[in-house]
This record gives sequence, structure tokens and C-alpha cells, in this order.
Amino acid sequence: MKGFRTLFWLEYRRSGAWAIALIGSLAFWAWGLFQVRRIELAEQLGIRGMLVAMAAVGGAVVLALMIGRLRGETRGGQYQVLLLSPPSGHAHIAARYTFALATAVLYYVMIGGLACWTLWMSAVPLDAGSIAQLTLAIPLYVLGVTVLPLLAWTLLLMVFTSAYRVSGPGWVPGTVMILGTLFVLRWLIEGIVRVSYTLPGWRLLEGVQTAVLQTTVEAQLEPVATLPQEPLWIMLALTLVLLVIASRIWREVEA
Amino acid sequence: MTTKSAWQLDMNAGPIFVQIASGVRRMLARGDLAPGQRLPSARDLAAELGVNPNTIVHAFAELERMAVIETKRGLGTFVRKDAPVAALRHDLLRAAATAFSAEVTALGISKGEALGVLKEVLDAGES
Amino acid sequence: MLASLSDVTKRYGRTDGLSNVTIDFPAGQVVGVLGLNGSGKSTLLKLLAGLLFPTAGKVTLFDGPPREKRAKLVYLGENDSLWTWMTPADAETFMQGLYDDFDVGRYRALLDSLAVPKRKTKAMSKGERGRLRLAMALARDAKLYLLDEPLAGIDLLSREKILQSIVREWHTDETILLSTHEVAEAEGLFERVLYLREGRLALDARAEELRNQGRSVVQAFREVLG
Repeated sequence: MKGFRTLFWLEYRRSGAWAIALIGSLAFWAWGLFQVRRIELAEQLGIRGMLVAMAAVGGAVVLALMIGRLRGETRGGQYQVLLLSPPSGHAHIAARYTFALATAVLYYVMIGGLACWTLWMSAVPLDAGSIAQLTLAIPLYVLGVTVLPLLAWTLLLMVFTSAYRVSGPGWVPGTVMILGTLFVLRWLIEGIVRVSYTLPGWRLLEGVQTAVLQTTVEAQLEPVATLPQEPLWIMLALTLVLLVIASRIWREVEA
Repeated sequence: MTTKSAWQLDMNAGPIFVQIASGVRRMLARGDLAPGQRLPSARDLAAELGVNPNTIVHAFAELERMAVIETKRGLGTFVRKDAPVAALRHDLLRAAATAFSAEVTALGISKGEALGVLKEVLDAGES
Repeated sequence: MLASLSDVTKRYGRTDGLSNVTIDFPAGQVVGVLGLNGSGKSTLLKLLAGLLFPTAGKVTLFDGPPREKRAKLVYLGENDSLWTWMTPADAETFMQGLYDDFDVGRYRALLDSLAVPKRKTKAMSKGERGRLRLAMALARDAKLYLLDEPLAGIDLLSREKILQSIVREWHTDETILLSTHEVAEAEGLFERVLYLREGRLALDARAEELRNQGRSVVQAFREVLG
């Protein structure tokens, strides 16, 4: 893809500050997790779990804002410059997405690391397999099922609204797409639930579960998680489709 | 011939190429430009005057037609060695005299009085 | 024909940006696009650049749709269009990576002659940013240059430098469309002038022809639009 390297460099320069701020925000979450040590042991795990979940959700929001921001660059003319540059829409979308993807992987793997650290602080002994699951398998699964399609959708929303803004009010295409998505999302979730566990699920966190049970009397964890494969594959395929559509619409954008 | 003001371009005074051509002739007549001297390239002159290079090319072609300048391939544009300087000087003087005469007629002043004033002014200019 | 609009109308919602405009642009013309604010100058240039698509009619560039031929044109929009963190060196990386026809040597020479400081654009004056953008644009070897108000809001000295660079870098087979308010300053540059009024083409004339009739481009501007 011609121009990808330069566009990726541009993306790094455009959004690098966002990425650094996001990764840096983990220090804040780590501080929060550390403070929890004063609370009673049995409650620690629950609160820490909640903090980790908040970091995960917050990160997704920041990443979506990072990838979809457009207003300033449309008004400033930078968007026009990109639209008129020779590389195809595929190269532009790929560069933007790849940078967000790399940031997301880094961020979520580090959250996995925080989760490990949390369990360690709560004196839960972890074996190597559990650590690998917490820092790699689970973050990547969560990314694939939620964050990656969300980011692809955000990019598509950005390109779609800008493609149909000039000839009409801007909020119309945005609203159409958000309402359409809500409708499709319900249908999608129902479909995914129906097909899940057709293929054998992935048993994760058995080691963690056992270790937690050994430590605390009243374990707050759910029974061992068996993650279905299907949502991951479906959502990754969906991500790809959304990105391809966004690349195609790129050439229709007016600015 | 490097100052912009020497050209006295006036967007309200007819085609620019005509003004540039007469500018070169005026400089030649006044001795600001000598036979054999090289003219700036059309592009340089265009940049300096802020006009379209084609306009300069047009003016140069006009001057070439009048046998005032010549283009030597690869070397540039030069005032011809045999440029009719005397004739140009005469033309300009005649044009000034014609303007003077028109004013005299318009004011209804006699020829003798006009000549007297002219001589007076010329004498004052010499001293 | 290098570019042409045939019976082009562009509507924004309910208002017309441009109505039933037909113009041909042969190779090798410096064209002044003149008109008051909102007369359709920017719309015309954006349609030719392929940044806008006509509501009706057809825009052709190098025998194709403008957006597909975008690599062959230079478009300089009326906005700053540079990222605030960019230095002239960053701009070089950007242009070199994206454009095959970008000439680094010429770019550096232009930065020099336009006296562009080696700072981030956010620390530059509007005139300096305008000059940097012009250096980026003129260092490319394209056949069509669409310059939308390159002189607007820029100091006198920068305006003079910008006009001089345009004259110096222009090749006789290239077509330049330059829209401007500073009609008097730029009028010597134009071979042809288009006067737009309320989205319509009010006059399409040769500048020397106007002057031959005893009118400057500025006077004709007042007569046609006033």
C-alpha cells in the first residue's frame, strides 16, 4: 500500500500525544489499585476488579475519540489535504487504524499486567500460565470482541458523516448511522449468543480460580470462565468489513 | 533597469506588453540601456514586475519585430547593436512635442508665445 | 482540454454554491478567479480538485473524474491546512512520502527564497505559514495548480514573495487558477480572468483584451460585480 509508511508516521505525530496520555493514565489506575490494600482482604478483589474494568472502558472511549476526531481538521483543512493525497482510502484507513490498534494492544496488555499485580498484592499466588492468560489471552480477547470493532465503527462513522455532510446537515448521517447501529447491534448480539459454544470454548483462569479459592474463604469470582470462540471470530470479521466499507467511502467524502 | 518604478506600469493604461515594449524603448532613448546590452530573461523580469511571463515574451517579440532587440539562442535577449537609438530619441521627443502642441492649441496661445515659453523653460533646465 | 466544467451546478442544502457554469481550461494559462465573498470561487476550485462533487453537470480533469486524477493536481485551500506540530522538515517528510512529483531540491530552494523559518507552524505568522504552504505546493511538478486565496490575510511582503515565486515556478504548459481579493496586486499575473457573481460566471475575459479596451482588471471587476 503506497504511502502507508508516511501516513502511519503522520498518525503517530497527530495522535502520539493521545496515546502517551492514555498509557500514562495507567499510573493513575495503578495508584488507585494500590490504595485498595487498606480495605478488608475479602473485598479487595471485587473493588480491584471494578477499577480494572473502569480502566478498560475508559481506554476504549479515549481510543474512539482519538481515532474519530475530525472536526478541527476539517475546519483547518488538514482533512482536505489527506483526501487529495495520492494514497488510496485503504492506506489512509489502515494507517489510522493500525496506530490505534497498536496503542490499544499496548494499553490492554498493560491493564492485564495491572490485574496480575493486583492479584499478587492480594497475595494470590499465580503460575506462569495464569500470568500469560491475564496479560495476553484475556486482554486480546476483550480487544477483539469489543474495542477493535468499536474503533472500526468509529472510523466508519467519521468517514460516513463527512461524506454526506456538505449537501445536507451533518447530524443527519450521524444519527442515521447510530440508530442503524443500535438496531443491528441487538440483532448481532442475539445471533452471537445463539451460535456461541458451537465450537469448543476456551477454558481460562483455572489456575487463578484455584489460587483465589486457596487464599480467601469467600471467593467472589464466578466459576471458571469458558470463553466461546465464536464472538471473537465474528467480531474480527465485522471489524474487517467495517474497515473495508470505510476505505471505500473515503473516496466519496466531500470536504 | 532593475527598479520596478523605472517601468511605470499602469494597469489602466492599455495592454501591459505595449507598456513594457515602450519602457524598453524609452530606456534605450535615455541611455539607461545601451545597444548590445543584455536584457533580463522574460522570467526574471516577469517575477520582478509581477506579471505573466507570457506578457514579457509578447513584449519582446514586439520589440524584435521593431528591430530593437534580438534573441541569441542559448545566450539571451540583447539590444541590437544597430538599434535605432537616434530614431527612438527623435520619436520620443516628437511625441512630447506633439503633446505640448496639443496643449498650446487647447489653450489658444500663439505660436510665438509658446515658443518663447518653451525656450525659457529649456534655458532654465540648462542652468 | 486540461480541465472543464460543463453546465455544473453545486447546491449546499438549499443554497446554490454554483449555478450552470461551463468553463474550459486549456493547458498553460494563468487564470484569475475573481468575485466577492460567497460568489462561488472556492466552490469552483473545490469542484475542480474533486473535494466536492457536482449536484448536476460534469467536471472533467485530464479526461477523468477529478478525485481519480488527484495525484496530478495541486490544491491549496483557503485554510492553513498544516498540523501545528509540523516544521518545514516534517512537511518535507510528508510531501516526499506521499507525492512522486515532489522535488526536494526545489522545495529547499523555495523555503530559502521565501524565507520560511525552521519553526513549528504554530510558532509561525500567518504569512510564514502561507509561504511554507506555497513552497510545498510549488515544489511539486503538477499540471494544474488550484490556489484558493493564497494572498488573503497575508502581509504585503509575503504577498509579493508569493507572487514572485508563482511567476518563477510557472512552466508554460501548466495551468494555474488563482482566486483572490487582492485583484490589483495580482492582476498583472493573469492571462485570463473569470468573474463570478452569486454562483454564476459573469464574465470570462482575457486581461490584455480588457486593457486594450481601456479597462484594467480591477475596473472590470467593479463594473461587473458592483
